[in-house]
Amino acid sequence: MNYLYHLIIYLSVYIIVAMSLNIVTGYCGLLTLAHAGYFAIGCYVYALSSLVLGWGLIPSMLLAFSVAAIFSLAVSIPSWRFKGDFFVMSSLAVQALLFSLLYNWSDSTTALGTWSNLTNGPAGIAGIPKPVIFGIKFDTLSGIAVVSVILTVVWIYVSALLLSSPWGRLLKAMRDDELAARGLGKNVRVAKTQAFAIACGIAATAGVIYAAYVSYVDPSIASLDESILMLCMVIVGGMGNIRGPVVGALVLIAIPELLRFADIQNEIAPNIRLMVYGLLLLAMMHFRPQGLAGSYRIE
Amino acid sequence: MQSLANGAITGLTIAVLALAFTVVYLPTRIFHIALGGVYTVVPFIVWTALRQHYPWPVAVIIALSAGVTLSLLCELLNHSYLDRKQASSGAHLVSSLGIYIMITQITVIIWGNESKALRTGLDENVIYGHITLTRAQVISAIISLIILVTFYAWLRFSTLGLRFRALADNPVEFSLRGYNLRLFRWLAFILAGFLCSISSLLVSHDVGFDPHAGLASLLIAIVAVIIGGRGSFFGPVIGGLLIGIIRSEVVWFLSARWQDAVTFLLLAVFLFIYPNGVCGRKRRLEAEA
Repeated sequence: MNYLYHLIIYLSVYIIVAMSLNIVTGYCGLLTLAHAGYFAIGCYVYALSSLVLGWGLIPSMLLAFSVAAIFSLAVSIPSWRFKGDFFVMSSLAVQALLFSLLYNWSDSTTALGTWSNLTNGPAGIAGIPKPVIFGIKFDTLSGIAVVSVILTVVWIYVSALLLSSPWGRLLKAMRDDELAARGLGKNVRVAKTQAFAIACGIAATAGVIYAAYVSYVDPSIASLDESILMLCMVIVGGMGNIRGPVVGALVLIAIPELLRFADIQNEIAPNIRLMVYGLLLLAMMHFRPQGLAGSYRIE
Repeated sequence: MQSLANGAITGLTIAVLALAFTVVYLPTRIFHIALGGVYTVVPFIVWTALRQHYPWPVAVIIALSAGVTLSLLCELLNHSYLDRKQASSGAHLVSSLGIYIMITQITVIIWGNESKALRTGLDENVIYGHITLTRAQVISAIISLIILVTFYAWLRFSTLGLRFRALADNPVEFSLRGYNLRLFRWLAFILAGFLCSISSLLVSHDVGFDPHAGLASLLIAIVAVIIGGRGSFFGPVIGGLLIGIIRSEVVWFLSARWQDAVTFLLLAVFLFIYPNGVCGRKRRLEAEA
């Protein structure tokens, strides 16, 4: 039963992440490799606000959303000028910068949460408290699973509303022909900035749930491998609609669990898993470039 | 002076890797990320061959041919098919990333996660005036220089080099004039595999190697390409030297842990202020993307 709860929590965290990434890659047509950085910002904001300030889940989530939205300017401003491979490169630069910030903003002589030791560096932050909502503590697995499922449903609903609204259509128009969208008097830069702020904020709230569940964060969650995994979900599942990323998260979370039953040695299991991800990316590009359930092919 | 010399030598190996990337990027516009996989696997092949008591030159030749074959296979089995389907540049990038992940993971499964070294014991020091270099550094500087000079001489003075430049300039017109585009694309991937293997062997002979360095090294090389100017064959060398020197000065003045941050900050600065790079021609980015 605990295993099932664990799966539910992981699945909902990654569904939220994949869905938020879809707003940027699927609706704006911009492949970003910095998303794990924003997920990690959510984790660290929750870790610090709950440990140092003693905040509950909902205020921490709001804070994480706003911090990530502010930091999202680092990827949205390059997107004003760059598309394609060059945008991928600048998002990679942002990812490397965020990672080294989390990795290096530490000082072993001062206490955690002060200005000179904000992230505790490579050692990470341990003992993050379980989520508290309005004074009720959710410290069982089932409790956290319920919270994460509710958050997932809320975000799916909100993003479905957003993306089917005129704003969502503007994003699609901008993706398909930016010049035409500008010619119709749409402010493309503002739309891109908004899209990135919302997407990065949503990813950060998923990070909050993740940190509250695992109760330990270290800079490796902001690594490039994590970003690639997130991109993998969106590409495999498909982009440009709501169901694509959900399918992608399901498939990519299901693969390692299925491999557990395949009687593979424990030492090489993570490598086999990553290899399957690589193979999936390759196969998708050849046989189904729009992903399993998507409606948009990357440019 | 010492850190400048160290930086220049690292810069030369970065330049060779950056050139490997450019050789594919300019004619085909493919982000050949799988080169990171080639970079990863080549030193392991030398290491195994040495353990089987093959002499040095034989081990290096085996590894170089493996690297070249791997890079060529990327074109034969992946990019040529995608190209026939007129796939987007994003599709090429993602599939190449998939190949990189597969090669790296297979390397880990076969050889394990540990760092290894190609030489044992302390290296001899060579002293020139105020600068002390290790023998591995001297070897790597000399070989990189020879490779770079030979490549540019080939590109500048041979007929094949002229055709290669023509291909890089305008692939469509090149094929319209009756040249075999496919053969030249193979040549590009072969050259990339060769240059990348050389750079990987030089670095791993100097500082050792592990299965996860491939993508990080390739990314630094791509930064060098962008800084140097991606429209020219000379850009990567200038960018590589610049990056190498700046990275070693960062270690000298700040700390080694800020190396990557400074490298990518430099990329961001260049992308904003000088997106065409040092050697680039002036062109609007929107027109190309």
